[in-house]
Amino acid sequence: MTKPSFVQPPRFAVWLVNLFTPYEQAESIPGDLLEEFSELALKSDGAFARRWYWRQSVKTIGHLIGCGFLSVPWRIAGAVLLGRLLLPFGFILPEKIIVAVLRVFPVYPNYDHKNVVALWMFWVPLAIDIGWVIAPIIIGCIVAVVAKGREMIATMTLGFTFLALRVVAIIVNRPGRILTRPDILLGLLAAFAIGGVIVRETRSALSRRPSPTHC
Amino acid sequence: MSNRDFLGEFEHIVVLALLRLADQAYGVTVRQEIEGRTGREVSIGAIYATLDRLETKGYVKSHLGDPTPERGGRSKRFFHVTTKGVAAVNRTHRALRSMTEGLDLVRSYSQ
Repeated sequence: MTKPSFVQPPRFAVWLVNLFTPYEQAESIPGDLLEEFSELALKSDGAFARRWYWRQSVKTIGHLIGCGFLSVPWRIAGAVLLGRLLLPFGFILPEKIIVAVLRVFPVYPNYDHKNVVALWMFWVPLAIDIGWVIAPIIIGCIVAVVAKGREMIATMTLGFTFLALRVVAIIVNRPGRILTRPDILLGLLAAFAIGGVIVRETRSALSRRPSPTHC
Repeated sequence: MSNRDFLGEFEHIVVLALLRLADQAYGVTVRQEIEGRTGREVSIGAIYATLDRLETKGYVKSHLGDPTPERGGRSKRFFHVTTKGVAAVNRTHRALRSMTEGLDLVRSYSQ
């Protein structure tokens, strides 16, 4: 049986490694992993090399998270604190903004009774729910911008800090109004992480873009 | 950083690998050298975490090589041990020799 001429490493693992690798190591770590993967894929079968790549990626990401904390602890702590301070606004603002918009542009005169009911029973709550999804993503983006180069570590720390505080609040019997449901808490964690991914990917794309002076 | 600092166990192994590899020391070769000689599977992340710590302490220095196609156009980061790093290895060796002196590790403590 002939071997494929070129085996690609698992794309998701490559993406994850790139996401967690600090900019100063963006050449060395992914490059080393790819070089050794290519060697392994030539010597053995592709499946073995892929398993090896996954194992290395998971371990490497673990180390990158640990080292990320140790290398810039104050920057990460500052970013997480900022995110924590912004969170209450994130929960209040969607509702406030929607109500304010409805006040400035009142839709009642053009609506009959059925439509007004639909507006307040369906569209406004839906808009607030969407706002609650977007707000933590924006907070995640702000945290990631502040934690330059450690975007994912900062946004994940914000998420897990928030989760830990909620768990403590639930244990001491002081649950908040809505933030006790596991699906909402996990959704928030994911939203923060998405914010981190957006900023990281944008920065990576900008750094890859050729400079106009080097045409 | 004190001049009396010793290298940690893994730091010691990594610096010895750098000394063995001389001007061919970069992530892949260091990882393979350690794995081949110690039989211990180490991740590239662990190697870089240690190398970065050693660089902060001034025990190693690094520079980027040219980009190569087998690395997807990325550069290799080569490392070499500084004089301060060599002194730290010697100090650690002396400490270990001194601690093991007179001990018959194989016969007395192998049960």
